Amino acid sequence: MFEFLLALVTAGTIGVLLIPLLRTRLAGTSRLDNDLAIYRDQLAEVERERAAGSLSETDAASARTEIERRILAAAEKDAPERQPKPDAALHRLLPPVLCLLIPALALGLYLKIGQPGLPSAPFIPHTGRPAAPADQGPSLAQQIATLRERLKQAPDDPDLLSALGELLTQKADGVVSQPAVEAFQKALAKQPGDARAQFYLGLHESQAGDSKAALKRWLDLEAQSPDDAPWLAMLRAEIDRVAKQANLDPLAIKPDRRPPAPPPAAPAAPPMASGGMGMPQPTPEQREAMAKMSPAERQQAIRGMVDQLEAKLRDAPPGQPADRDGWLRLANARRVLGDAPKAAEAFAKADALKPLDPRQLADWAEVEVRQIQPGAAPSPEAVAVLTRLEQAEPDNGLALFYLGAASFAHGDKADAARRWKKLLALLPPDAPIRKMLEEKIKQAE
Amino acid sequence: MKSNRLLYLLPLLTLAILAGFFGWSLLSGRDPASIGSVMVGRPAPRLAAPALLPGQPALTDALLHSGKPVLVNFFASWCTPCLAEHPLLERLAKRDGITIIGIAWKNKPEEARAWLERLGNPFAQVGYDLDGKMALDWGLSGVPETFLIDAQGIVRLHFRAPLLEKDVNERIMPLLKAGS
Repeated sequence: MFEFLLALVTAGTIGVLLIPLLRTRLAGTSRLDNDLAIYRDQLAEVERERAAGSLSETDAASARTEIERRILAAAEKDAPERQPKPDAALHRLLPPVLCLLIPALALGLYLKIGQPGLPSAPFIPHTGRPAAPADQGPSLAQQIATLRERLKQAPDDPDLLSALGELLTQKADGVVSQPAVEAFQKALAKQPGDARAQFYLGLHESQAGDSKAALKRWLDLEAQSPDDAPWLAMLRAEIDRVAKQANLDPLAIKPDRRPPAPPPAAPAAPPMASGGMGMPQPTPEQREAMAKMSPAERQQAIRGMVDQLEAKLRDAPPGQPADRDGWLRLANARRVLGDAPKAAEAFAKADALKPLDPRQLADWAEVEVRQIQPGAAPSPEAVAVLTRLEQAEPDNGLALFYLGAASFAHGDKADAARRWKKLLALLPPDAPIRKMLEEKIKQAE
Repeated sequence: MKSNRLLYLLPLLTLAILAGFFGWSLLSGRDPASIGSVMVGRPAPRLAAPALLPGQPALTDALLHSGKPVLVNFFASWCTPCLAEHPLLERLAKRDGITIIGIAWKNKPEEARAWLERLGNPFAQVGYDLDGKMALDWGLSGVPETFLIDAQGIVRLHFRAPLLEKDVNERIMPLLKAGS
């Protein structure tokens, strides 16, 4: 209904615009026409005044001659402008064509990307942030007071001291104030490895204009942190920020810095304990050389390292517990490099040593699915992995979709429709594959 | 007829002149926000302000003629950039041993006191200038502003912005080292 109204309004607007445009002849009034009208009026006036007797016959005659002379002069001057304009047709056609083209384009665009079925969401409550700080429990000032109270009982507790420093920093809008620095220093004296104190003291150094000291402290902290430390991502972001701001190279400060796991290379990689079978790490010289390579050469070099890891894994005496981590790492590397069959093989090796967890199963399923030819039924290996994945995560979209496809290929249309409908219900309303899925369900029913 | 045609070029010409000006502004490194300072190279203006903290003497000109270079920093508890530069001042006072004189500008003394208590006090002496009258002599345009005054009482540097690491490392420290 609403769409219909909109179309009506658009059509009306175009009509109103078009009618006068089509009617006007663009030639319109030229300068000569205007002039001639004036001279004609003047001639008529002269005639009127002569008839009324306020102008003598001779005066009237000379006035008439003068006006006629001007008419001739005007016509002469106008002559070159009277050439036919070559773009007159364009001028006449352009406005109506634009009038029609713009709504047509809009309609085309809407048909292509519009989503008339998308439900409106006018009154979604803002869940991200509590409405008032009053609901957040005790205020910062209260929390600080409580902590100070507890510190009276245990003045040297490093955890309490660090927590106090953190709250004081929050209170100062992120500036590590002097009292906070003192708390962190006391905490660090008691517990030299305290990551929180180290982090905030580094932040203080960067705020106090000593970025180099800050980076040094943070790089040491990074080196001491376990690979799956929850603060690593934030720490690295801060290192990058301060290094960029102060125009310092972290590698110049700490040449043996291990490269952070490349974030785009392994987005879903599960945290892995560092076993004996690590990925060969490039030395700083190699890394420098790699930075200079073209993307294709770099890819080649990375593949070389991955192949090295695989050779190492295959040569190792079987049954070592560390092997599983190595295989998983290899599988993830292959997966990221787009080598689906080899990734699947490595996942299978790791799985044989100890069954994979759901997260790893999802990665395995992804590489299995990638090997399916378009239109073909999923392979038995893929179905096996997907079935395990579905058992672990009944709402997994990948499993639902491809197990449905497998059932469909075997003629079990009811089961295919059941899985796909379940998936459809799980999808967000604007998911692009909805349409395709709806068609598939229709076929299955 | 001919002159009429030329008239149409006028907007284009104006645009070209504007573009040229903007291009020059971008490329010449001119800072349009900078209003410069007439203080640099001249004797420091009069310093007279009541003490902010109990038990400290009021600020007087004598502080600027102690035979040692000093930093004079105008701040306020309501000013966020002042908060940002605060750790830098702490470091200059504690680590580099520089005398810093603070003046709370258009700031209620009790609020300024609470602010210093919360963040730490980097100032050797602090006064306050509630109505901003003294700051007029210093040509203050707002807070934070920092003046470096040499041993002879001459203003050497005037920062009309929060201090940054590079201000300290590249301008303040070299001058102090050369002076001492």
